[in-house]
Amino acid sequence: MEIKILGGGCPKCERLEALAREVAGELGIDARFTKVKEMSKIMAYDVMTTPALVVDEKVMSSGRIPAQEEVRAWLAEANK
Amino acid sequence: MNLTDALLNALQSGLGGLASYLAAHVLLCLLPAFFIAGALAALLPKEAITRYLGREAPKWISYPASALGGFLLAVCSCTIMPLFASIYKKGAGIGPAVTFLFVGPAVNILAISFTGVQIGMDIALARIVLSLVFGILIGLLMAWIFRKDDAEHAKAAAESQVFAAKATIPARTVVFFLLLLGTLIAGTLQIGLLRDVFFSVKIPGGWALSLQSRLDKLVPPNPALGIEGISVHGLLLIGMLVLIALAAIKGFKDIFKGFTGWTILTLGLIALTLVIASFAVSLTGSGLVLGINGRFVAEILFMAAIWWMGATAFNSEERQEWLWETWRFVKQIIPLLLVGVFAASIARTLIPAAWIQSIAGRNTLWANLAGVLFGVFMYFPTLVEVPVAQTFLSLGMHRGPLLAYLLADPELSLQSILITNSVIGKKKTAVYVSFVTVFSTLSGLIFGWFISS
Repeated sequence: MEIKILGGGCPKCERLEALAREVAGELGIDARFTKVKEMSKIMAYDVMTTPALVVDEKVMSSGRIPAQEEVRAWLAEANK
Repeated sequence: MNLTDALLNALQSGLGGLASYLAAHVLLCLLPAFFIAGALAALLPKEAITRYLGREAPKWISYPASALGGFLLAVCSCTIMPLFASIYKKGAGIGPAVTFLFVGPAVNILAISFTGVQIGMDIALARIVLSLVFGILIGLLMAWIFRKDDAEHAKAAAESQVFAAKATIPARTVVFFLLLLGTLIAGTLQIGLLRDVFFSVKIPGGWALSLQSRLDKLVPPNPALGIEGISVHGLLLIGMLVLIALAAIKGFKDIFKGFTGWTILTLGLIALTLVIASFAVSLTGSGLVLGINGRFVAEILFMAAIWWMGATAFNSEERQEWLWETWRFVKQIIPLLLVGVFAASIARTLIPAAWIQSIAGRNTLWANLAGVLFGVFMYFPTLVEVPVAQTFLSLGMHRGPLLAYLLADPELSLQSILITNSVIGKKKTAVYVSFVTVFSTLSGLIFGWFISS
Protein backbone atom coordinates (compact mmCIF):
# COMPACT_ATOMS: atom_id res chain seq x y z
CA MET A 1 0.00 0.00 0.00
CA GLU A 2 1.17 3.50 -0.74
CA ILE A 3 0.39 6.27 1.71
CA LYS A 4 1.17 9.87 0.87
CA ILE A 5 1.09 12.85 3.19
CA LEU A 6 0.54 16.10 1.28
CA GLY A 7 1.76 19.24 2.97
CA GLY A 8 4.67 21.61 3.30
CA GLY A 9 6.08 20.14 6.49
CA CYS A 10 3.93 21.98 9.02
CA PRO A 11 3.35 20.45 12.50
CA LYS A 12 -0.07 19.21 11.40
CA CYS A 13 1.48 17.18 8.59
CA GLU A 14 3.83 15.52 11.03
CA ARG A 15 0.96 14.67 13.34
CA LEU A 16 -0.99 13.17 10.44
CA GLU A 17 1.98 11.07 9.39
CA ALA A 18 2.54 9.83 12.93
CA LEU A 19 -1.13 8.88 13.16
CA ALA A 20 -1.12 7.02 9.83
CA ARG A 21 2.07 5.17 10.72
CA GLU A 22 0.65 4.18 14.09
CA VAL A 23 -2.55 2.81 12.57
CA ALA A 24 -0.70 1.01 9.78
CA GLY A 25 1.52 -0.58 12.42
CA GLU A 26 -1.50 -1.68 14.47
CA LEU A 27 -3.14 -3.29 11.47
CA GLY A 28 0.11 -4.91 10.40
CA ILE A 29 -0.01 -3.26 6.99
CA ASP A 30 3.20 -3.01 5.01
CA ALA A 31 2.83 0.56 3.77
CA ARG A 32 5.21 2.81 1.91
CA PHE A 33 5.12 6.40 3.20
CA THR A 34 5.88 9.38 0.98
CA LYS A 35 5.82 13.06 1.90
CA VAL A 36 4.75 15.34 -0.92
CA LYS A 37 5.92 18.88 -0.31
CA GLU A 38 5.98 20.59 -3.73
CA MET A 39 2.95 22.78 -4.22
CA SER A 40 2.51 21.78 -7.89
CA LYS A 41 2.33 18.09 -7.01
CA ILE A 42 -0.07 18.77 -4.16
CA MET A 43 -2.30 20.75 -6.52
CA ALA A 44 -2.49 17.74 -8.84
CA TYR A 45 -4.55 15.94 -6.18
CA ASP A 46 -7.25 18.61 -6.24
CA VAL A 47 -6.89 19.57 -2.60
CA MET A 48 -6.65 23.13 -1.37
CA THR A 49 -5.92 22.62 2.27
CA THR A 50 -3.14 20.63 3.81
CA PRO A 51 -2.37 18.27 5.39
CA ALA A 52 -4.02 15.72 3.14
CA LEU A 53 -3.92 11.94 3.40
CA VAL A 54 -3.68 9.98 0.16
CA VAL A 55 -4.04 6.19 0.19
CA ASP A 56 -3.19 4.44 -3.09
CA GLU A 57 -3.62 7.72 -5.01
CA LYS A 58 -7.05 8.40 -3.51
CA VAL A 59 -7.52 11.52 -1.34
CA MET A 60 -9.07 10.42 1.94
CA SER A 61 -9.00 13.70 3.90
CA SER A 62 -7.68 17.21 3.58
CA GLY A 63 -7.27 20.26 5.77
CA ARG A 64 -7.72 18.37 9.00
CA ILE A 65 -6.40 15.57 11.14
CA PRO A 66 -8.91 12.72 10.84
CA ALA A 67 -9.88 10.70 13.89
CA GLN A 68 -7.94 7.51 14.50
CA GLU A 69 -11.03 5.35 13.83
CA GLU A 70 -11.48 6.99 10.43
CA VAL A 71 -7.90 6.28 9.43
CA ARG A 72 -8.23 2.72 10.66
CA ALA A 73 -11.36 2.18 8.53
CA TRP A 74 -9.70 3.64 5.41
CA LEU A 75 -6.53 1.60 5.74
CA ALA A 76 -8.43 -1.62 6.52
CA GLU A 77 -10.65 -1.04 3.47
CA ALA A 78 -7.70 -0.34 1.18
CA ASN A 79 -5.88 -3.42 2.47
CA LYS A 80 -8.60 -5.87 1.44
CA MET B 1 30.39 56.23 29.82
CA ASN B 2 32.69 53.20 29.80
CA LEU B 3 31.96 49.85 28.22
CA THR B 4 30.63 48.12 31.34
CA ASP B 5 28.15 50.90 31.95
CA ALA B 6 27.03 50.79 28.35
CA LEU B 7 26.51 47.01 28.51
CA LEU B 8 24.64 47.27 31.79
CA ASN B 9 22.50 50.04 30.39
CA ALA B 10 21.66 48.00 27.28
CA LEU B 11 20.85 44.94 29.38
CA GLN B 12 18.58 46.91 31.68
CA SER B 13 16.83 48.39 28.70
CA GLY B 14 16.29 44.91 27.25
CA LEU B 15 14.91 43.60 30.55
CA GLY B 16 12.73 46.67 30.95
CA GLY B 17 11.28 46.14 27.50
CA LEU B 18 10.61 42.47 28.21
CA ALA B 19 9.00 43.24 31.54
CA SER B 20 6.65 45.85 30.16
CA TYR B 21 5.64 43.45 27.39
CA LEU B 22 4.78 40.76 29.88
CA ALA B 23 2.88 43.21 32.07
CA ALA B 24 -0.84 43.63 32.28
CA HIS B 25 -1.95 45.37 29.12
CA VAL B 26 -0.09 43.08 26.73
CA LEU B 27 -1.22 39.94 28.55
CA LEU B 28 -4.86 40.96 28.31
CA CYS B 29 -4.41 41.33 24.59
CA LEU B 30 -2.12 38.48 23.61
CA LEU B 31 -3.52 35.63 25.73
CA PRO B 32 -7.07 35.93 24.33
CA ALA B 33 -5.71 36.61 20.83
CA PHE B 34 -3.83 33.30 20.83
CA PHE B 35 -6.98 31.44 21.85
CA ILE B 36 -8.96 33.20 19.11
CA ALA B 37 -6.32 32.34 16.50
CA GLY B 38 -6.40 28.72 17.70
CA ALA B 39 -10.20 28.65 17.47
CA LEU B 40 -10.15 30.10 13.95
CA ALA B 41 -7.69 27.44 12.83
CA ALA B 42 -9.50 24.57 14.53
CA LEU B 43 -13.22 25.30 14.59
CA LEU B 44 -13.97 27.30 11.44
CA PRO B 45 -15.01 25.11 8.48
CA LYS B 46 -12.85 26.41 5.61
CA GLU B 47 -15.46 25.45 3.03
CA ALA B 48 -17.81 28.08 4.47
CA ILE B 49 -15.59 30.69 2.83
CA THR B 50 -13.87 28.82 0.00
CA ARG B 51 -17.27 28.08 -1.58
CA TYR B 52 -17.30 31.73 -2.63
CA LEU B 53 -13.86 31.55 -4.25
CA GLY B 54 -14.62 29.27 -7.18
CA ARG B 55 -14.24 30.18 -10.85
CA GLU B 56 -17.92 30.91 -11.37
CA ALA B 57 -18.28 33.28 -8.40
CA PRO B 58 -18.98 36.86 -9.55
CA LYS B 59 -16.29 39.49 -8.86
CA TRP B 60 -18.27 41.40 -6.27
CA ILE B 61 -18.45 38.23 -4.19
CA SER B 62 -15.05 36.63 -4.82
CA TYR B 63 -12.93 39.71 -3.95
CA PRO B 64 -14.56 40.53 -0.60
CA ALA B 65 -14.67 36.80 0.18
CA SER B 66 -10.92 36.57 -0.51
CA ALA B 67 -10.27 39.49 1.80
CA LEU B 68 -12.44 37.92 4.50
CA GLY B 69 -10.69 34.59 3.92
CA GLY B 70 -7.34 36.31 4.38
CA PHE B 71 -8.53 37.54 7.76
CA LEU B 72 -10.22 34.34 8.98
CA LEU B 73 -8.32 31.47 7.34
CA ALA B 74 -4.77 32.74 7.00
CA VAL B 75 -3.88 32.54 10.67
CA CYS B 76 -1.54 29.68 9.85
CA SER B 77 1.20 29.78 7.22
CA CYS B 78 0.38 26.16 6.34
CA THR B 79 -3.01 27.28 5.02
CA ILE B 80 -1.86 30.41 3.20
CA MET B 81 0.23 28.89 0.42
CA PRO B 82 -2.02 25.92 -0.55
CA LEU B 83 -5.09 28.15 -0.53
CA PHE B 84 -3.31 30.84 -2.51
CA ALA B 85 -2.19 28.31 -5.12
CA SER B 86 -5.68 26.76 -5.28
CA ILE B 87 -7.50 30.05 -5.77
CA TYR B 88 -4.97 31.02 -8.43
CA LYS B 89 -4.95 27.78 -10.40
CA LYS B 90 -8.35 26.25 -9.82
CA GLY B 91 -10.58 28.93 -8.38
CA ALA B 92 -11.40 32.56 -8.91
CA GLY B 93 -8.02 33.36 -10.52
CA ILE B 94 -5.05 35.62 -9.98
CA GLY B 95 -7.02 38.65 -8.72
CA PRO B 96 -8.78 37.12 -5.69
CA ALA B 97 -5.68 34.97 -5.03
CA VAL B 98 -3.54 38.10 -4.70
CA THR B 99 -6.16 39.77 -2.51
CA PHE B 100 -6.07 36.74 -0.22
CA LEU B 101 -2.28 36.73 -0.13
CA PHE B 102 -2.10 40.44 0.63
CA VAL B 103 -4.72 40.60 3.36
CA GLY B 104 -3.70 37.42 5.22
CA PRO B 105 -0.43 38.42 6.88
CA ALA B 106 -1.42 42.04 7.52
CA VAL B 107 -4.87 41.65 9.05
CA ASN B 108 -4.78 38.64 11.34
CA ILE B 109 -6.25 38.82 14.81
CA LEU B 110 -2.89 38.54 16.59
CA ALA B 111 -1.18 41.30 14.60
CA ILE B 112 -4.09 43.73 14.80
CA SER B 113 -4.81 43.43 18.51
CA PHE B 114 -1.11 43.57 19.36
CA THR B 115 -0.60 46.65 17.18
CA GLY B 116 -3.63 48.33 18.75
CA VAL B 117 -2.41 47.83 22.30
CA GLN B 118 1.28 48.60 21.75
CA ILE B 119 1.28 51.32 19.10
CA GLY B 120 -2.23 52.72 19.13
CA MET B 121 -5.73 52.10 17.84
CA ASP B 122 -5.28 54.64 15.01
CA ILE B 123 -2.50 52.56 13.43
CA ALA B 124 -4.36 49.28 14.01
CA LEU B 125 -7.52 50.60 12.33
CA ALA B 126 -5.50 52.07 9.46
CA ARG B 127 -3.79 48.70 9.07
CA ILE B 128 -7.16 46.95 8.71
CA VAL B 129 -8.88 49.45 6.43
CA LEU B 130 -5.93 50.15 4.12
CA SER B 131 -5.03 46.45 3.83
CA LEU B 132 -8.57 45.54 2.81
CA VAL B 133 -8.91 48.40 0.32
CA PHE B 134 -5.47 47.97 -1.24
CA GLY B 135 -5.70 44.18 -1.15
CA ILE B 136 -8.79 44.30 -3.34
CA LEU B 137 -7.35 47.09 -5.52
CA ILE B 138 -4.07 45.24 -6.15
CA GLY B 139 -6.06 42.07 -6.91
CA LEU B 140 -8.21 43.87 -9.48
CA LEU B 141 -5.15 45.45 -11.11
CA MET B 142 -3.31 42.11 -11.30
CA ALA B 143 -6.39 40.44 -12.82
CA TRP B 144 -6.66 43.19 -15.44
CA ILE B 145 -2.95 43.14 -16.36
CA PHE B 146 -2.80 39.36 -16.65
CA ARG B 147 -6.28 38.81 -18.07
CA LYS B 148 -4.95 36.72 -20.97
CA ASP B 149 -3.10 34.21 -18.78
CA ASP B 150 -6.10 33.99 -16.53
CA ALA B 151 -8.33 32.81 -19.34
CA GLU B 152 -6.09 29.75 -19.77
CA HIS B 153 -6.44 28.87 -16.11
CA ALA B 154 -10.20 28.95 -16.54
CA LYS B 155 -9.96 25.68 -18.47
CA ALA B 156 -8.13 23.89 -15.66
CA ALA B 157 -10.53 25.36 -13.14
CA ALA B 158 -13.61 24.22 -15.02
CA GLU B 159 -12.76 20.56 -14.39
CA SER B 160 -11.95 20.98 -10.74
CA GLN B 161 -14.43 20.25 -8.00
CA VAL B 162 -12.21 21.70 -5.30
CA PHE B 163 -14.37 24.72 -4.59
CA ALA B 164 -17.68 22.90 -4.89
CA ALA B 165 -17.79 21.75 -1.27
CA LYS B 166 -20.16 23.78 0.83
CA ALA B 167 -20.38 24.37 4.53
CA THR B 168 -21.89 26.91 6.89
CA ILE B 169 -20.48 28.16 10.15
CA PRO B 170 -22.56 26.70 13.00
CA ALA B 171 -24.25 29.20 15.33
CA ARG B 172 -22.45 27.81 18.40
CA THR B 173 -19.07 28.55 16.75
CA VAL B 174 -20.13 32.13 16.04
CA VAL B 175 -21.25 32.66 19.64
CA PHE B 176 -18.01 31.11 20.90
CA PHE B 177 -15.94 33.48 18.74
CA LEU B 178 -17.94 36.46 20.01
CA LEU B 179 -17.28 35.43 23.62
CA LEU B 180 -13.54 35.05 22.95
CA LEU B 181 -13.53 38.41 21.19
CA GLY B 182 -15.39 39.86 24.20
CA THR B 183 -12.54 38.79 26.49
CA LEU B 184 -10.05 40.50 24.20
CA ILE B 185 -12.07 43.72 23.93
CA ALA B 186 -12.98 43.89 27.64
CA GLY B 187 -9.30 43.47 28.45
CA THR B 188 -7.94 46.14 26.16
CA LEU B 189 -10.57 48.82 25.54
CA GLN B 190 -9.67 52.01 27.39
CA ILE B 191 -13.03 53.41 28.49
CA GLY B 192 -14.25 54.68 31.86
CA LEU B 193 -16.82 51.93 32.32
CA LEU B 194 -14.04 49.34 32.32
CA ARG B 195 -11.28 51.35 34.00
CA ASP B 196 -13.07 53.13 36.85
CA VAL B 197 -12.48 51.53 40.22
CA PHE B 198 -15.67 51.12 42.21
CA PHE B 199 -14.38 49.06 45.08
CA SER B 200 -10.93 48.67 46.50
CA VAL B 201 -9.18 46.16 48.73
CA LYS B 202 -6.07 47.02 50.76
CA ILE B 203 -3.27 44.59 51.36
CA PRO B 204 -1.31 46.12 54.25
CA GLY B 205 2.45 45.95 54.68
CA GLY B 206 5.53 48.00 53.92
CA TRP B 207 7.04 45.12 51.91
CA ALA B 208 5.39 46.30 48.72
CA LEU B 209 7.16 49.64 48.74
CA SER B 210 10.59 48.17 49.48
CA LEU B 211 10.08 45.50 46.81
CA GLN B 212 9.15 48.20 44.33
CA SER B 213 12.25 50.25 45.10
CA ARG B 214 14.37 47.15 44.56
CA LEU B 215 12.68 46.47 41.23
CA ASP B 216 13.27 50.09 40.23
CA LYS B 217 16.96 49.64 40.93
CA LEU B 218 17.08 46.47 38.81
CA VAL B 219 15.23 47.99 35.87
CA PRO B 220 15.10 51.78 36.16
CA PRO B 221 12.01 53.24 34.48
CA ASN B 222 12.89 55.76 31.79
CA PRO B 223 9.85 57.61 30.48
CA ALA B 224 11.97 59.50 27.93
CA LEU B 225 12.79 56.21 26.20
CA GLY B 226 9.39 54.69 26.88
CA ILE B 227 10.74 52.11 29.35
CA GLU B 228 8.15 51.39 31.99
CA GLY B 229 10.14 49.40 34.54
CA ILE B 230 8.64 46.51 36.53
CA SER B 231 5.82 46.99 39.03
CA VAL B 232 4.94 44.61 41.87
CA HIS B 233 1.82 43.76 39.86
CA GLY B 234 3.96 43.05 36.81
CA LEU B 235 6.29 40.82 38.83
CA LEU B 236 3.33 38.76 40.04
CA LEU B 237 2.10 38.38 36.44
CA ILE B 238 5.52 37.32 35.19
CA GLY B 239 5.54 34.70 37.96
CA MET B 240 2.12 33.49 36.80
CA LEU B 241 3.37 33.23 33.21
CA VAL B 242 6.27 31.05 34.32
CA LEU B 243 3.80 28.78 36.15
CA ILE B 244 1.57 28.63 33.06
CA ALA B 245 4.53 27.74 30.87
CA LEU B 246 5.55 24.91 33.22
CA ALA B 247 2.01 23.54 33.49
CA ALA B 248 1.38 23.90 29.75
CA ILE B 249 4.35 21.72 28.86
CA LYS B 250 2.62 18.84 30.65
CA GLY B 251 -0.96 19.90 29.96
CA PHE B 252 -0.92 20.86 26.28
CA LYS B 253 1.80 18.78 24.69
CA ASP B 254 -0.20 15.59 24.25
CA ILE B 255 -3.55 17.32 24.22
CA PHE B 256 -4.86 15.28 21.30
CA LYS B 257 -4.64 12.15 23.42
CA GLY B 258 -7.14 13.67 25.84
CA PHE B 259 -7.57 16.13 28.69
CA THR B 260 -5.59 15.55 31.85
CA GLY B 261 -5.49 17.24 35.25
CA TRP B 262 -2.54 19.26 33.93
CA THR B 263 -4.67 20.62 31.09
CA ILE B 264 -7.33 21.83 33.51
CA LEU B 265 -4.63 23.28 35.77
CA THR B 266 -3.08 25.20 32.86
CA LEU B 267 -6.42 26.59 31.73
CA GLY B 268 -7.25 27.56 35.33
CA LEU B 269 -3.90 29.35 35.70
CA ILE B 270 -4.47 31.24 32.44
CA ALA B 271 -7.92 32.37 33.59
CA LEU B 272 -6.51 33.42 36.96
CA THR B 273 -3.72 35.37 35.27
CA LEU B 274 -6.21 37.30 33.14
CA VAL B 275 -8.24 38.09 36.27
CA ILE B 276 -5.13 39.29 38.12
CA ALA B 277 -4.08 41.35 35.10
CA SER B 278 -7.46 43.03 34.87
CA PHE B 279 -7.64 44.81 38.23
CA ALA B 280 -5.90 48.11 38.91
CA VAL B 281 -3.05 48.04 41.42
CA SER B 282 -1.65 51.12 43.11
CA LEU B 283 1.08 51.45 45.67
CA THR B 284 0.80 53.42 48.91
CA GLY B 285 3.08 53.75 51.91
CA SER B 286 0.98 51.32 53.91
CA GLY B 287 0.65 48.61 51.27
CA LEU B 288 -0.95 47.59 48.00
CA VAL B 289 -4.39 48.76 46.93
CA LEU B 290 -6.28 46.44 44.58
CA GLY B 291 -8.90 48.32 42.60
CA ILE B 292 -11.86 46.25 41.46
CA ASN B 293 -13.08 47.74 38.16
CA GLY B 294 -15.46 46.98 35.32
CA ARG B 295 -12.68 45.16 33.45
CA PHE B 296 -12.30 42.70 36.33
CA VAL B 297 -16.03 41.91 36.34
CA ALA B 298 -16.26 41.68 32.53
CA GLU B 299 -13.27 39.33 32.26
CA ILE B 300 -14.71 36.98 34.88
CA LEU B 301 -18.12 36.92 33.20
CA PHE B 302 -16.70 36.31 29.71
CA MET B 303 -14.34 33.59 30.87
CA ALA B 304 -17.05 31.82 32.84
CA ALA B 305 -19.21 31.83 29.71
CA ILE B 306 -16.34 30.52 27.56
CA TRP B 307 -15.58 27.78 30.06
CA TRP B 308 -19.22 26.72 30.18
CA MET B 309 -19.64 26.80 26.40
CA GLY B 310 -16.35 25.05 25.76
CA ALA B 311 -17.41 22.27 28.12
CA THR B 312 -20.95 21.81 26.84
CA ALA B 313 -21.29 22.96 23.22
CA PHE B 314 -18.23 21.26 21.74
CA ASN B 315 -17.12 17.65 21.73
CA SER B 316 -13.80 16.56 23.12
CA GLU B 317 -12.16 16.34 19.70
CA GLU B 318 -13.05 19.94 18.92
CA ARG B 319 -11.79 21.08 22.32
CA GLN B 320 -8.51 19.23 21.83
CA GLU B 321 -8.06 20.59 18.33
CA TRP B 322 -8.68 24.14 19.58
CA LEU B 323 -6.16 23.91 22.41
CA TRP B 324 -3.63 22.13 20.22
CA GLU B 325 -3.77 24.89 17.60
CA THR B 326 -3.54 27.56 20.31
CA TRP B 327 -0.52 25.88 21.88
CA ARG B 328 1.09 25.54 18.46
CA PHE B 329 0.76 29.29 17.86
CA VAL B 330 2.19 30.03 21.29
CA LYS B 331 5.17 27.71 20.78
CA GLN B 332 5.81 29.08 17.32
CA ILE B 333 5.50 32.78 18.13
CA ILE B 334 6.26 33.48 21.80
CA PRO B 335 9.96 32.46 21.95
CA LEU B 336 10.77 34.54 18.86
CA LEU B 337 8.67 37.39 20.20
CA LEU B 338 10.52 37.43 23.53
CA VAL B 339 13.90 37.47 21.79
CA GLY B 340 12.63 40.13 19.39
CA VAL B 341 11.35 42.37 22.17
CA PHE B 342 14.61 42.02 24.10
CA ALA B 343 16.69 42.87 21.03
CA ALA B 344 14.43 45.75 19.97
CA SER B 345 14.64 47.25 23.46
CA ILE B 346 18.43 47.05 23.43
CA ALA B 347 18.51 48.60 19.96
CA ARG B 348 16.57 51.51 21.39
CA THR B 349 19.55 52.54 23.50
CA LEU B 350 22.09 51.93 20.73
CA ILE B 351 20.50 53.67 17.72
CA PRO B 352 20.85 57.46 17.91
CA ALA B 353 17.41 59.08 17.71
CA ALA B 354 18.86 61.66 15.30
CA TRP B 355 19.32 58.96 12.63
CA ILE B 356 15.72 57.84 12.73
CA GLN B 357 14.47 61.41 12.85
CA SER B 358 16.52 62.49 9.87
CA ILE B 359 15.38 59.52 7.78
CA ALA B 360 11.75 59.16 8.84
CA GLY B 361 10.97 61.93 11.32
CA ARG B 362 8.68 63.69 8.90
CA ASN B 363 5.93 62.40 6.64
CA THR B 364 7.58 62.61 3.21
CA LEU B 365 7.56 60.32 0.19
CA TRP B 366 11.14 59.27 0.85
CA ALA B 367 10.50 58.64 4.53
CA ASN B 368 7.60 56.33 3.64
CA LEU B 369 9.63 54.55 0.99
CA ALA B 370 12.44 54.08 3.51
CA GLY B 371 9.90 52.50 5.89
CA VAL B 372 8.77 50.07 3.18
CA LEU B 373 12.30 49.14 2.10
CA PHE B 374 13.32 48.48 5.68
CA GLY B 375 10.34 46.12 5.90
CA VAL B 376 11.44 44.26 2.76
CA PHE B 377 15.04 43.69 3.68
CA MET B 378 14.66 43.03 7.40
CA TYR B 379 12.75 39.84 7.96
CA PHE B 380 11.15 39.75 11.39
CA PRO B 381 9.12 36.75 12.53
CA THR B 382 5.35 37.21 12.97
CA LEU B 383 4.45 39.92 15.51
CA VAL B 384 8.06 41.00 16.11
CA GLU B 385 7.41 43.86 13.67
CA VAL B 386 5.32 45.44 16.44
CA PRO B 387 8.04 45.91 19.10
CA VAL B 388 10.42 46.98 16.32
CA ALA B 389 7.88 49.60 15.26
CA GLN B 390 7.50 50.71 18.86
CA THR B 391 11.24 51.21 19.12
CA PHE B 392 11.15 53.37 15.98
CA LEU B 393 8.23 55.32 17.38
CA SER B 394 10.04 56.09 20.64
CA LEU B 395 13.07 57.20 18.64
CA GLY B 396 10.98 59.77 16.80
CA MET B 397 9.66 58.09 13.65
CA HIS B 398 6.57 59.76 12.21
CA ARG B 399 3.38 57.64 12.35
CA GLY B 400 2.96 57.79 8.55
CA PRO B 401 6.24 56.03 7.64
CA LEU B 402 5.63 53.79 10.64
CA LEU B 403 2.40 52.54 9.09
CA ALA B 404 4.14 52.11 5.72
CA TYR B 405 6.70 49.91 7.46
CA LEU B 406 4.03 47.93 9.35
CA LEU B 407 2.13 47.24 6.12
CA ALA B 408 5.16 46.21 4.10
CA ASP B 409 7.02 44.12 6.67
CA PRO B 410 4.67 41.11 6.84
CA GLU B 411 3.82 41.32 3.11
CA LEU B 412 7.20 41.60 1.54
CA SER B 413 9.94 39.66 3.21
CA LEU B 414 12.46 38.11 0.84
CA GLN B 415 11.21 34.70 1.97
CA SER B 416 7.57 35.34 1.07
CA ILE B 417 8.61 36.82 -2.27
CA LEU B 418 10.45 33.59 -3.11
CA ILE B 419 7.46 31.43 -2.19
CA THR B 420 5.06 33.59 -4.17
CA ASN B 421 7.47 33.35 -7.10
CA SER B 422 7.26 29.56 -7.04
CA VAL B 423 3.48 29.68 -7.46
CA ILE B 424 2.80 32.51 -9.91
CA GLY B 425 6.17 32.96 -11.65
CA LYS B 426 8.73 35.74 -11.93
CA LYS B 427 6.80 38.25 -14.00
CA LYS B 428 3.64 38.28 -11.90
CA THR B 429 5.66 38.32 -8.67
CA ALA B 430 7.63 41.35 -9.86
CA VAL B 431 4.43 43.21 -10.68
CA TYR B 432 2.88 42.21 -7.35
CA VAL B 433 5.92 43.33 -5.36
CA SER B 434 6.00 46.69 -7.14
CA PHE B 435 2.32 47.24 -6.44
CA VAL B 436 2.73 46.43 -2.76
CA THR B 437 5.73 48.78 -2.51
CA VAL B 438 3.88 51.64 -4.20
CA PHE B 439 0.64 51.15 -2.28
CA SER B 440 2.31 50.73 1.12
CA THR B 441 4.27 53.94 0.54
CA LEU B 442 1.09 55.75 -0.50
CA SER B 443 -0.82 54.37 2.50
CA GLY B 444 1.78 55.73 4.91
CA LEU B 445 1.80 59.07 3.14
CA ILE B 446 -1.99 59.40 3.16
CA PHE B 447 -2.28 58.27 6.77
CA GLY B 448 0.51 60.69 7.76
CA TRP B 449 -1.32 63.61 6.16
CA PHE B 450 -4.57 62.51 7.69
CA ILE B 451 -3.31 62.50 11.30
CA SER B 452 -1.17 65.62 10.90
CA SER B 453 -4.01 67.75 9.61
